[in-house]
Amino acid sequence: MKGKDLINIGIFSAIYFVIVFLIAMLGFIPIFLPLLAVLVPILGGIPFMLFLTRVKKFGMIWIMSIIMGLLMMLTGMSWQPLVVSVITGLLAELVYKSGNYQSAGKAVLTSGVFSLWIGGNYLPLFFAAEKYWSTRQNFGQDYIETVTKLMPAWMCPALFAAAFVCGIIGGLLGKALLKKHFEKAGIA
Amino acid sequence: MTGTALFSADIEHRGMVLDPRTKLAVILTLVIFVLGGTGGDIRAVRIAASVLSLLPAVLMLIAGQWKKAVVYGAVFGGMLTLQKLALPELKDAALSIAGMCVMVFVRLMPGLAMGAYTLSNTTVSEFIAAMHRMHVPQQITIPLSVMFRFFPTVLEEFSAINTAMKMRDIRIGGRHAGKLLEYRLIPLMVCSVNIGSELSAAALTRGLGVGVRRTNICQIGFHLQDFAVLLLTASVYVLWILGIAGVIA
Repeated sequence: MKGKDLINIGIFSAIYFVIVFLIAMLGFIPIFLPLLAVLVPILGGIPFMLFLTRVKKFGMIWIMSIIMGLLMMLTGMSWQPLVVSVITGLLAELVYKSGNYQSAGKAVLTSGVFSLWIGGNYLPLFFAAEKYWSTRQNFGQDYIETVTKLMPAWMCPALFAAAFVCGIIGGLLGKALLKKHFEKAGIA
Repeated sequence: MTGTALFSADIEHRGMVLDPRTKLAVILTLVIFVLGGTGGDIRAVRIAASVLSLLPAVLMLIAGQWKKAVVYGAVFGGMLTLQKLALPELKDAALSIAGMCVMVFVRLMPGLAMGAYTLSNTTVSEFIAAMHRMHVPQQITIPLSVMFRFFPTVLEEFSAINTAMKMRDIRIGGRHAGKLLEYRLIPLMVCSVNIGSELSAAALTRGLGVGVRRTNICQIGFHLQDFAVLLLTASVYVLWILGIAGVIA
């Protein structure tokens, strides 16, 4: 990996994180909290697919995933997202590598696997619910009850599945947009 | 770029300089104790965390960003008072709304303020030098420094694109609402990619692509002020451990 690749990782991480951050603000409304697993992968898929056209060396997707985990930790999502993002990032890397870093079909699948990190953000809700809410008492009992009702235990795997499926949808959307806009502009 | 550009500190007019690692330690502590609410059941820790939350205001004041310091201090102090006095009186919807405001300002803002101070007061070179001393591989430091440098650019471009699209009635409730996202994200990505290639070219002239060990002329290191800040930071941890051990209530 050379300096140019590392800079590309930085640039696309910035675009991706801005999108994540803007959407995550919606999470203050209870119904949107589970929907984040749908919205983030779909919208994030667009810059991610453009990022994949730049990925030619091992490690680029993995590093981006680790950075997402680090940022989640710094913005107060505890350590679970980092652990998840390290693993799913490596998986996504391997998927894209198996297509020699150029297969369009594998790219869409990579987008799905990469998006799994979003599921990691929900883990504290399920496995450390008491601690999670003890730091969010200020939200008021209404918010806590609504979210608890929205998030029964079976939602945990469902959110990961949603992130994966929506990651693939985002990948397809990104691919379509790449074709429509970027190929003729010569930057894809 | 605007006057508050991130990662482009005005080296000559920034007053007292802290080591980047000290700033990082303060951010992490704020995230753990203020945002994460660790040890919130121990009174001494809560007080120490509140004191630490005021540290960004003090640092901004020293750095000459007195306007930001005053606004931050006033908002934080006001919200803390609101939390102490008004929250127990409220219920239902009012509690939810007020609670969320307090959550954002009392919990989230100290970390963000410290982050903003760090970014406006540290040069990229210092950041990379500090990361190098901590043995963080350059595969992580370069993307991170590019990213932090790039955030304001993305936001600036986005607001310009937003204005342009509103003018063409591509907005919520406009005639072309369906194109809302596509016509914002695509231009944003095109210009980001172009800025990115320029950044890459600039970085190559600084020898980023050579693959040998880079030298750095930045003088970083711990001084008296670092020890003072680190002492304050460490005291929160000490109080927390004492609280867990049952020495203080």
